[in-house]
Amino acid sequence: MAQFLQQLVNGISIGSIYALMAVGYSLVYSIMNFSNFAHGSVIMLGAYFGYFCLTLLGLPFGLAFFLAACGTALVAVVIERLAYKPLRDRKAPFLYFIITAMGMSIFIDNGVIATIGPTPKIFPLARLPEFIRGGTIKLGVVEVGRVDVAMFVITVICLVALIFFIDYTRVGKAIQATAYNMKASALMGINTSFIIILVFAIGGALAGVAGVLYGIKYQVYPQMSGITMKSFIAAVFGGLGSLPGALLGSLLLALIETFVSGYLSTQLRDIFSFLILIAMLVIRPSGIMGKSMEDKA
Amino acid sequence: MRAFLYGLLVACLVLVGCAGGGSKGDTIKIGWFGPQTGDSALWGQAELNTVKMMADDYNAAGGIKVGSKTYKVEIVGYDDKGDSTEAVNVAKRLTSQDKVVAVVGAQGSGEAIPVAPIFNEAKVPLVASTATNPKVTVTESGSVNPYMFRACFIDPYQGKVAAYFAYQKLAKRNAAIFMTIDDPYSTGLAQYFKENFEKLGGKVVAQESYTSGEKDFRAPLTKIKAAKPDVIFVPAYYNDVGPAAAQARQLGINQLLLGGDGWPSENLITLAGGPGAALEGCLFVNHLDMLGDTAKPMRDEYKAKYDKNAELNSYMVHDALLMVVDAMQRAKSIKSEDIQKALSTCDIQGITGHIKIGPNHDPVGKTAWLIKVSGPDMKLQESFAAED
Repeated sequence: MAQFLQQLVNGISIGSIYALMAVGYSLVYSIMNFSNFAHGSVIMLGAYFGYFCLTLLGLPFGLAFFLAACGTALVAVVIERLAYKPLRDRKAPFLYFIITAMGMSIFIDNGVIATIGPTPKIFPLARLPEFIRGGTIKLGVVEVGRVDVAMFVITVICLVALIFFIDYTRVGKAIQATAYNMKASALMGINTSFIIILVFAIGGALAGVAGVLYGIKYQVYPQMSGITMKSFIAAVFGGLGSLPGALLGSLLLALIETFVSGYLSTQLRDIFSFLILIAMLVIRPSGIMGKSMEDKA
Repeated sequence: MRAFLYGLLVACLVLVGCAGGGSKGDTIKIGWFGPQTGDSALWGQAELNTVKMMADDYNAAGGIKVGSKTYKVEIVGYDDKGDSTEAVNVAKRLTSQDKVVAVVGAQGSGEAIPVAPIFNEAKVPLVASTATNPKVTVTESGSVNPYMFRACFIDPYQGKVAAYFAYQKLAKRNAAIFMTIDDPYSTGLAQYFKENFEKLGGKVVAQESYTSGEKDFRAPLTKIKAAKPDVIFVPAYYNDVGPAAAQARQLGINQLLLGGDGWPSENLITLAGGPGAALEGCLFVNHLDMLGDTAKPMRDEYKAKYDKNAELNSYMVHDALLMVVDAMQRAKSIKSEDIQKALSTCDIQGITGHIKIGPNHDPVGKTAWLIKVSGPDMKLQESFAAED
């Protein structure tokens, strides 16, 4: 029983990381209809921004966190302007977007390796506030990391704020309209170009948050974007384009993974998660909560 | 415009051609490959730094005297990203394009095993630095790879030392193993530990694993916790060992961790949460005492030149290159086939101990060192001279 509860906690904590990352994929997909594979690299940059703000500039944690999110929002928008806008202007097929996104990802990852270097960095514990520092809280028989609690709370706050923003504000409604039909929205007077920039900025800012938290929990290293593949699977699982779907998909995927490796074997874990992806794409391509039945890639 | 572009293209091709084909009469080219990027890049960079430093030293002293001629040394180094496919590519490039006389490096068994056929076919000797899996020099069917050598002891010995120490010295009876499932180094060492530990009378109560590249180890660690071992053997690389140790402590796993030569690194203790944290008091088997007197000259020279501490791989690749140079001098030849013959009778004193190449192209009778993590240091606990 103790082991079951511990694995449950492990799963939820991994799920909340997946969720923060998955939302970025979903958000861009809902507007642009392509999977922004550069997102993982932006997350990695976010971790580095946070790390350097804290260590090189010596800023307080809250400010470093905020600047990291701003930095990645900017990077995401720059990527959109430089790499995707020219394609959009030429009405290139969606496949081109995906290839460009992958190219951007490889470019950023290797750029970091070439400039900052491949050695993993560790967030200086002494510079972190109490609530996110190492150590565990004992809840009965279960050990819960403080970082995990903080991550879960921050993830929930970010996602609730985002869902509120999209459902209850005028700009949010404009994003929904653009996601529904970009041409018609433009005809109705919505500045779709601005909406696209905004969506990339929000996705980027969430990537920054995810990156810093991930960096604190594990390490900061250039191959971080590899891990975000899992969150992409989670996004597809939950339904690309749906925010609650991204959250649900992430939690489910992480729980399945944890229980497979905890009760069956670690070797089977990835076989399971990719089987779920394939099965989902065959049986219900729109994911658990996805709405459209368009191409997923 | 088009003509100009074509002209430019031709000019580029000519330049590239010249750069590739230039081979000067009195220079020996020695190849190196290993990870410059990727997870184990720290070690690969330490190796390349070391061989370059040694080449500079040789050249500053006028060169290497082979027979009656003196040669300058040129190191041709390539990044294999710690990836087996990439290792095969660069091995082909070194042997066929750069025409190196010998190669050192290939630090991981995962990279050194697949390149063996290439070196055998090209008849160029490779001296591996830290590839400890037996299959690097001896094929699956039991025949020796004629052109594969190494400077390190092998995993069966390392696993035996770890098992012996855990059972006899620490009096542990129930061990758990936590390994990297997709790395022959890790799975091999795990198996040798298990065999020896069980032969001594111990029991392996849990054997859990993860895939390389992973950062969250809590699911398999929770399983290990439930098995209640009294010692945990972790045959993995430092970049996983550090975080895994931290996560294990977080889950309330307080048992001693024991490891192999994948542990020693500048970053190990930092990754585990700093001095005195998760790895305090844990032990690992190493190829030398990196803080000892034998290692001092090289440690100081490396530190002065690169302003970084030398890694285990620096010392290992140093001895690998020393073996190649010694072989050339004894063979009085810079032909790869002659170097190969001389390497199989290698008998020299390196920084990491006495290296006498045996019939399987492995050094026989090398001493293993048991090192303990204490505070910010890795201190010598005990040394094990091979007795069989």
